[in-house]
Amino acid sequence: MSAFGEYKKEIMNAAHNERIRLALSRAIKRYRANVDKALKEFPQTAKLAEEVREIKEKAIGQMDKLAEQACQVIEANHGKAYIARTADDALNIIGGLVGSGKLIVKAKSMTSEEIGLREHLEEGGNEVYETDLGEFIVQKLGSRPMHILAPAVHVPKEDVAKLFSEITGQELPADVEVLVATARKLLREKFFKADIGISGANVVAADTGSLFLIENEGNIRLTTSAPPVHIALVGMEKLVPTLDEAWKVAQVTWRYANYTIPQYISIVSGPSSTGDIEKVITYGAHGPGEFHVIFLDGGRTELAKHTGLSQVLYCLRCGGCLYECPVFGVTAGHFGDKYFAGVGAVWAAMITGDREKAASLAYTCLTCGRCKVRCPMKIDVPQMVVELRKLLAEGT
Amino acid sequence: MNKKSKGLIPPGLAYVADNIISKQNLLGAPRGTGAKWAKKLDLPKEAETVFFAGCGYQYNTSLQSLMSIIRKLDKSPIGAELPMGLAGFQKKLGFDPAQVYRRLVARDKDSDAQPLRDAVKVLQNLGVEFGYLAEDEPCCGGILHYIGLEKEFARNAQSLYDKIKARGVKRIIGIVPSCTYTLAELLPEHVPGYDLEVKHFLQVVLERIKDRELRFPREVKMAYHDPCQLSRYLGLIEEPRSILKSIKGIELVEPGWTYGEWSTCCGGGGGFEVVFPELSQILAANRAKELLETGAQIIVTHCPGCVMQLEEGLKTLKIKDVEVLDLAQVVAMAMGV
Repeated sequence: MSAFGEYKKEIMNAAHNERIRLALSRAIKRYRANVDKALKEFPQTAKLAEEVREIKEKAIGQMDKLAEQACQVIEANHGKAYIARTADDALNIIGGLVGSGKLIVKAKSMTSEEIGLREHLEEGGNEVYETDLGEFIVQKLGSRPMHILAPAVHVPKEDVAKLFSEITGQELPADVEVLVATARKLLREKFFKADIGISGANVVAADTGSLFLIENEGNIRLTTSAPPVHIALVGMEKLVPTLDEAWKVAQVTWRYANYTIPQYISIVSGPSSTGDIEKVITYGAHGPGEFHVIFLDGGRTELAKHTGLSQVLYCLRCGGCLYECPVFGVTAGHFGDKYFAGVGAVWAAMITGDREKAASLAYTCLTCGRCKVRCPMKIDVPQMVVELRKLLAEGT
Repeated sequence: MNKKSKGLIPPGLAYVADNIISKQNLLGAPRGTGAKWAKKLDLPKEAETVFFAGCGYQYNTSLQSLMSIIRKLDKSPIGAELPMGLAGFQKKLGFDPAQVYRRLVARDKDSDAQPLRDAVKVLQNLGVEFGYLAEDEPCCGGILHYIGLEKEFARNAQSLYDKIKARGVKRIIGIVPSCTYTLAELLPEHVPGYDLEVKHFLQVVLERIKDRELRFPREVKMAYHDPCQLSRYLGLIEEPRSILKSIKGIELVEPGWTYGEWSTCCGGGGGFEVVFPELSQILAANRAKELLETGAQIIVTHCPGCVMQLEEGLKTLKIKDVEVLDLAQVVAMAMGV
């Protein structure tokens, strides 16, 4: 069967899957109610989003410069920073830092998904635990994330209960509280036994080298502070010039990601240190003594030069567009590759370089444009998809 | 089109593109078959303002039968083997497109292209003077743009402009949302010195309808479905609603929050229905369900694609007591023309 034929079969299976539809219809309803609430309680967000669009436009044009600046600041602050030109470079750098036989706890990161980091580390003889609840479910199911922020958006609670019952050997009810408590119990000791914690970042300030990490669960706090080593993998498009600008990006991101107020916002700029004994600065007090940041280019600087498609780099990964997409509403992330829906099509073509996959996704877009109405960055997905089809159809 | 890149266009769409390029219509029907609907209307062919009918409504009946065949094939085991080869389907199952065209030519039923006939009557009743290019109406080629065949689209755009200008046309009244958007917004990007003034039917009607006494033949609840290209592309959100609200007997109801710029697509966007017929049908049913929740007795919309999809959606849901009408039909009924 052709690649397209297989893809079509996959999304049709998803479209006929009652479990996916049930889980999504619940999630979409909640997303809309939550995001409306967040925007109503913080009405300045829409204006802030316009400002953030300008910040991103400026930043995307100078990603290289910002990455170099951030690297210098991080190094001066006793961290280690690297620029990885390709996905392989990033895997080699992280693989080298990790070695083998290690226990690793991981926060959710789409960038790590993009380069296949978990699989790479597992093949290298390491034990890796996804600690985000949704990601943990997906890892245990042997599946892949179906939404950028809610990776297990396609799994209803009844199925999670079945999975956790298998893992624990106990009969667990489809009670969300019980399931959350089970995950907590399963992962708790891993955070403290882990040799390394790996995270991504939602936005990075180049002038202070600070990573912003937005979450509700608290798993990112533990991942980035309990183990002795913290490694962060960040796409270069996440860089903005200043701390003030990063703060604005962060606010817009979480509100459109339907968090009125996120429970935790971590800002990490270097390894843990203390000067409390005779003002002698010593690294690795209570937090990690080692802090490594890998900025991944992986096609981003090339993509930034493409007039029709560079706007995809403004994406804050809030995931709002996905809840508005009628196709995503019945197929979840099966309408996707590493990233999903229209944005995912551009990403498949330009970053992962899979033209056939990109074509399959590009022609699955209805070009209906409701995603654009939701998008805080006003990314014109239909226009971008048509631009991409042009590249694929005319082979230019 | 070079061979290597053609592989990345789903063949269903490549087939549609070939039809436009070779026959100047979506279906690949013989030239002029689409103009039959207007035969008895005696519209002048020479005029400064022309009504642009577009493929969707003109070939409405045969597109519908073609789609039902595509849907059946898509669900059959052959559909999985040859997911995209529309031309292949036709050969393999002995489906003969020529037969559809012959049937179309032989047909002259009142129901065919009814929204077009109604739109013409409405415009005439409002005192608008206009002509119709009939068999000389070129295809807007919009779908070529959405398929990604930009060079073909640009070529078609220039030739359309030259043809229309040669006839002395200055103004166009469009009705199909996608054609209107193409003529108004996409063509200027490809045709240097493009100077055709394009308005949508709704805009022309709204300008002149203001002090008319309009009444729908019965008291009904109507839900309006916004076509994507009308609402989100052309920004015509208030216009259809103002028209519907001005008609006595109609109670306009809206589906929750999915209306206006937040309207849900009917599942027939940009050729999607040709590539994913079964999925398209699921989306049509989902949208129909949203509209039915309003308790409407009539679903009114204003796009040949949406009409077809929503009818299909109702059929899937086995709903028989709700009707889908085009806005042009509703206005004509309210005018009694």
